[in-house]
Amino acid sequence: MFAALFSLDGRRKRLLGKTGAGPLRDYLATPFVPRHTPCSAVGYVALDLETTGLDPQHDEILSVGLVCLDGLRIDLATACHWYVLPTRAIPEQSAVIHRITDDRAAQGEPISAVMARLLPLLAGRVLIAHHARIEQGFLAHGCRRLYGGEFIIPTVDTQLVEKRWLEQRMRPYSANDLRLAQLRNRYNLPRYRAHNALSDALACAELFIAQVAGRDSARAPPLKGFLVKP
Amino acid sequence: MDVELLEIRDFLAAHPPFDRLPDEVLDRLPLELSVRYLRRGTPFPPPDADGAYLYLVRSGALELRDTKKELLGKYGEGEIWNSPCDQEELGTDLRVYTVEDSLFYLLPCERVAQLRQRYPTFDELFERSIRERLKRAIDALQQSCSSGIGLLTVEVSRLVTRAPVQVEPQISIREAAQLMNQERISALLVSEGGVLLGIMTDRDLRHAVAEAIPYEQPVSAIMSRKLHKVTRETSAFEALITMTRLNVHHLPVMGRDGVCGLISTTDLVRYQSANPIFLVGDVRTCGSVEELARVATQLPELQVQIVSAGATAYHLGHAIASVTDAITQRLIELAEIRLGPPPLPYVWIAGGSQGRREQTIHTDQDNGIIIDDAYDAERHDSWFGALAHFVNDGLDLCGFSRCPGEVMASNPRWRQPLRVWRDYFHDWILHAERKKAMLAVNFLDTRAIYGESLLHDKLHAEAVALAKENKVFHAYLAANSLTNSPPLGFFRNFVLVSDGDHAKSLDVKHRAIIPIVDLARLHALAAGLPEINSLERLRAAAELGAMPAETAADLEDALEFIATLRARHQARQTTHGEVADNYVKPAELSPLERSHLKDAFSVIRTVQNALSQRNQGGRLY
Repeated sequence: MFAALFSLDGRRKRLLGKTGAGPLRDYLATPFVPRHTPCSAVGYVALDLETTGLDPQHDEILSVGLVCLDGLRIDLATACHWYVLPTRAIPEQSAVIHRITDDRAAQGEPISAVMARLLPLLAGRVLIAHHARIEQGFLAHGCRRLYGGEFIIPTVDTQLVEKRWLEQRMRPYSANDLRLAQLRNRYNLPRYRAHNALSDALACAELFIAQVAGRDSARAPPLKGFLVKP
Repeated sequence: MDVELLEIRDFLAAHPPFDRLPDEVLDRLPLELSVRYLRRGTPFPPPDADGAYLYLVRSGALELRDTKKELLGKYGEGEIWNSPCDQEELGTDLRVYTVEDSLFYLLPCERVAQLRQRYPTFDELFERSIRERLKRAIDALQQSCSSGIGLLTVEVSRLVTRAPVQVEPQISIREAAQLMNQERISALLVSEGGVLLGIMTDRDLRHAVAEAIPYEQPVSAIMSRKLHKVTRETSAFEALITMTRLNVHHLPVMGRDGVCGLISTTDLVRYQSANPIFLVGDVRTCGSVEELARVATQLPELQVQIVSAGATAYHLGHAIASVTDAITQRLIELAEIRLGPPPLPYVWIAGGSQGRREQTIHTDQDNGIIIDDAYDAERHDSWFGALAHFVNDGLDLCGFSRCPGEVMASNPRWRQPLRVWRDYFHDWILHAERKKAMLAVNFLDTRAIYGESLLHDKLHAEAVALAKENKVFHAYLAANSLTNSPPLGFFRNFVLVSDGDHAKSLDVKHRAIIPIVDLARLHALAAGLPEINSLERLRAAAELGAMPAETAADLEDALEFIATLRARHQARQTTHGEVADNYVKPAELSPLERSHLKDAFSVIRTVQNALSQRNQGGRLY
């Protein structure tokens, strides 16, 4: 009973009651996957955002890349990549990283249209991202601003998964070891071009299925072992 | 498509069979894939697969073993595992699993089937029969080098520009010469009542003048009666090889209703600049070993030209052997000028790849001398010894290295009268053992190069007849043809030799060509066939039923593919100023060539395995 109250799905139900009609309410209407579900029986969406900076209060989303996983199989047919029309000029220091120019961004869609397309895809799925705080933060801020409500989602942060795994085994690591490209290399994954939202989302999805495969269990472990604590 | 999956698209575009799909299909294909990661030791296809897929290795590796855990193959990045889509081929005795943590791209089998149906070039690579794949590979290899208007692809009928000028045998030499002047031709055909009798060329006229034959004599007195003909469908290259071998410059072309034209070397020159026939011509005018050596330096360039004309190894072998024969003949003539006339009739013989006409520029000498039975070592050997040393040294200077096993005429053992040679063969064949069988193998692949060819031809025919009847000898030949086995395939930039054994380069000669040459010889000799060339041996053995036609055809294709690949490898080395060798690095090969080579290896292995089982069972072939 208490568990239901404090669980993420419990929070979802409470938020649903407080949220007005619109994309966010529709999203919250779909139940979250139970935490004890084997991780091979879960629907995931690996997501990456390219932004003008790291602060959701001040910075803007420039592009969204995602790909869905059907259990531990990545389904490339679901791959999406959208550009978002920013409200201000793109700061130069971020443009050198994501290489999205003002001209490119000008062909994007308003954030409201992108969010309305994104939220239905997230419904009932678990989010996968590397250093997921950024994605969570920008999505939550967007929802607050556009729909005046709170956004939550069960999340697997591949960086945190690796960090916990290493700490449980008392293996020393440096911050650099936890970067996406470094980890992919350790798991024998091919080298991809970084800082393209779709490419990074796919890179992150592949890293996750490699991390799950790396656990020495014969049966797929439950989802909860990979989730970020709410 | 969403261009951001470009990385996956580019990966597909770089690997067969996907590289054969049109751009618009490749653009969409990434969206039809799914991705899986399987840790090391996962059996294949994975037990939790939710459908039938083709698996493309993106990173990592797969191993294929039989029930006895014997390694059969290894697949790395860019290679496909298609068994789930091909149930008929899936053997239950195979064990497949990942040997590294691996990432795979999966394409549903239904989609593979659709693509195969829609795109024939894509489908080709799934062709079940290795034979079909190898045949296509040979064609592709030829086309990739040839400009399309090469000598090989052109039929002689296309080079014939006019109807041949024919005369009656009774007309005078003067009248014939006037006619040639008037028609501006260098040769005319002599015929009577529609029957071709001979040919008269500028060369015959020159001889007539030199020998002061009266111009009023009929042409029949000076014409050449030995007529070698070609048909309209003969490739220009075959015609060139025939001319080179016979050292003639004209060949009548036969149509359905008799002779329909005459082609000359000039006609062929328009199609190709570096020409073995001119090299042979140059060789014949050389007055010293040094001059010969200079002409011989053009041999590597000749190979480059022939390869780039789109010729296969069979044609190349004949062309290079013709030039090598000419160099040997000229050396012997030079030796005879220096030593005086031979004290007895003899014949110079060549074996090995020159004997089989399977030569490339990188070959050692294999030769000997058969002398008339009146031979007496005390009286005659100084002359023959001097000849042998002169020719062997000369060949060495011309780029044909000395045989490391001393199988050369300068070795007194291989410079003997017919009766001694006969004893050799009796001993090798009737009292067979391993070493003797190897010697016999050397001398069963010989041809007469210069002198009394009957001495050789008789001996060879006797040896072949003797070999046919002797089953124990066959057993040794069979064992000999199993000593060199092909590798399993390639893995990344290594040649996969066997479990845990990798090589940096493929020894094409020992690992692939010699096994087929040995198998061809075994089957030809066991059937008493006189052929020497491996392709001809295989064809003859199949015709006689001494070998299943499919097996012979498979080995033929495998040999042509491998030997042509080697010829190209050597041509490339020559072009880059390197010395030609037999070692092909996996990095030189395209993914497609690798897969065709694997097919060729598996053809050899299949025939060798069958032979080895029969040999153990006491039945030899």
